[in-house]
Amino acid sequence: MVTTRAVSRPLSALVSAAFFMGGCAGTDSEDRGTQLSILAASSLTEAFTAMEVGFEMANPDVDVVITFAGSQVLRLQIEQGAPADLFASANEAQAHALADAGLAEPPRILAHNRLALIVPTDNPAEIFSFGDLPQASRLVVGTEHVPLGIYTRSMLDRADAKLGAGFADRVRTQVVSRENNARLVRAKVELGEADAAIVYQTDAMASDRVRLIEIPGDVNIRTPYVTATLTDAAGGAANRAVADFVAFTRSEEGRAILVRYGFDVEGA
Amino acid sequence: MSNTSLRAPARPAGALLAGVLVLLLTVPLLGLAVSASPAELRAGAASPLFAPALWLSLRTTLMSLGVIVVTGTPLAWWLATSKGRSARVIEVLVDLPIVIPPAVVGVALLQTFGRQGLLGAGLSEFGIGIPFTERAVLLAQIVVSAPFYVQAAANAFRRVDLDVLIVARTLGASPDVAFFRVAVPIALPGLVVGMSLAWARALGEFGATLLFAGNLSGRTQTMPLAILTALESDVQLAVVFSLVLAAMGGLVLVGLRLAPSAWASFAGGRISRP
Repeated sequence: MVTTRAVSRPLSALVSAAFFMGGCAGTDSEDRGTQLSILAASSLTEAFTAMEVGFEMANPDVDVVITFAGSQVLRLQIEQGAPADLFASANEAQAHALADAGLAEPPRILAHNRLALIVPTDNPAEIFSFGDLPQASRLVVGTEHVPLGIYTRSMLDRADAKLGAGFADRVRTQVVSRENNARLVRAKVELGEADAAIVYQTDAMASDRVRLIEIPGDVNIRTPYVTATLTDAAGGAANRAVADFVAFTRSEEGRAILVRYGFDVEGA
Repeated sequence: MSNTSLRAPARPAGALLAGVLVLLLTVPLLGLAVSASPAELRAGAASPLFAPALWLSLRTTLMSLGVIVVTGTPLAWWLATSKGRSARVIEVLVDLPIVIPPAVVGVALLQTFGRQGLLGAGLSEFGIGIPFTERAVLLAQIVVSAPFYVQAAANAFRRVDLDVLIVARTLGASPDVAFFRVAVPIALPGLVVGMSLAWARALGEFGATLLFAGNLSGRTQTMPLAILTALESDVQLAVVFSLVLAAMGGLVLVGLRLAPSAWASFAGGRISRP
């Protein structure tokens, strides 16, 4: 599992690096209107950008500012004092750790994602179903230090049980790179450098330069996304705008946006 | 004295400004140094990411430095001694990777040596693949760090008095002997500085490697990539890796400071010998 140890002392160099990589959360608020600052997982980029547009149309007095980065990096930023009102995480563990530290309210499930196999549009390795995966001579997956890689490992272990022993091993020997996030994994397929890659369903759907191949439901992994309102201790305003935005993400319009970008909102 | 009166008014403000910069440059290193205990250092070194990344970084940076010195020395000599316009044009082209962000170099390398790239498409017909291999790590390091060596070496060669070479030739030395026995020893301190800068830059190479070579422990995951990977799961591990990399850079810097004076005393001793 993901290591969830707390940062125990000021790590000035690394935290500034983390800020640099993730971009700082906007703090300059204008006098008129409320500013709502959201830290969201990279995989929510398209969906939450659409949410921002929809929410600001309905609430013209609120200015929504969203910063996207890996959930682990965002958690680190919140722990080190990045001011924000809402955390949308691709990983329950990161949100629970913040709640345990008193920095966030208990997290609530927003939607689910699942894994998908992608291949370049010219499909050089001729992969047409999940069972063809061992044909890929250059496979790119997520590193096992991020949730994507952990989910991929569990999924391949399940496939081993369903599709015959040795399936996972045959696939793993073809791995040429383990990237740090789903977008880097997908880019290797978009560039035609990888024969196949395993990313989230949403990443696959957000690109028209890859072909999506479904992973069978009995093998696939459902991954929960959560939102957690940040407390005063984390610099959260905890005002009505936050509650309104959280409600919007669960509204009919919000759910339609999530579905459009490949999320599963059933039972969320 | 005239220079005292010139310096005096600017002194307090200048010292304050200089002090701010010195603090900004040194305090983050101090923060890094105090953020890991010896036990954490040992735990970090025992991480499965550590040894393969360190070994890969050392191996590839030394190999790329070898390639840079063998190809960059004749280039630098030509740039230093040639007065033509073509040499000035080549000099600017060689310096380009210094001002181009490494991520751009990575994209450019992919568009060149990738499977659908300018040269990569032809190479892959012969079964030669470059991305995701150690060759890609080497290429990225060479492209981003070679300019530092070539620039320093060309400057060092420019300080070689050509009359000395002419004297060597009239005394019967062949052009090769004159170059290796006269020009190179005179320029050596400058060449060493260039090698150190290029090596340090190759060791820190991150952006181009990430895009072009991928990230696989034991194959293409160098120390900077291991730091980013560790940061995704265990911050303390990333701190330890960063410390090791900072210490390696520090050693190069100390070597850089000591090398010229050590060389001067060595060479001076030799020349004064009867």
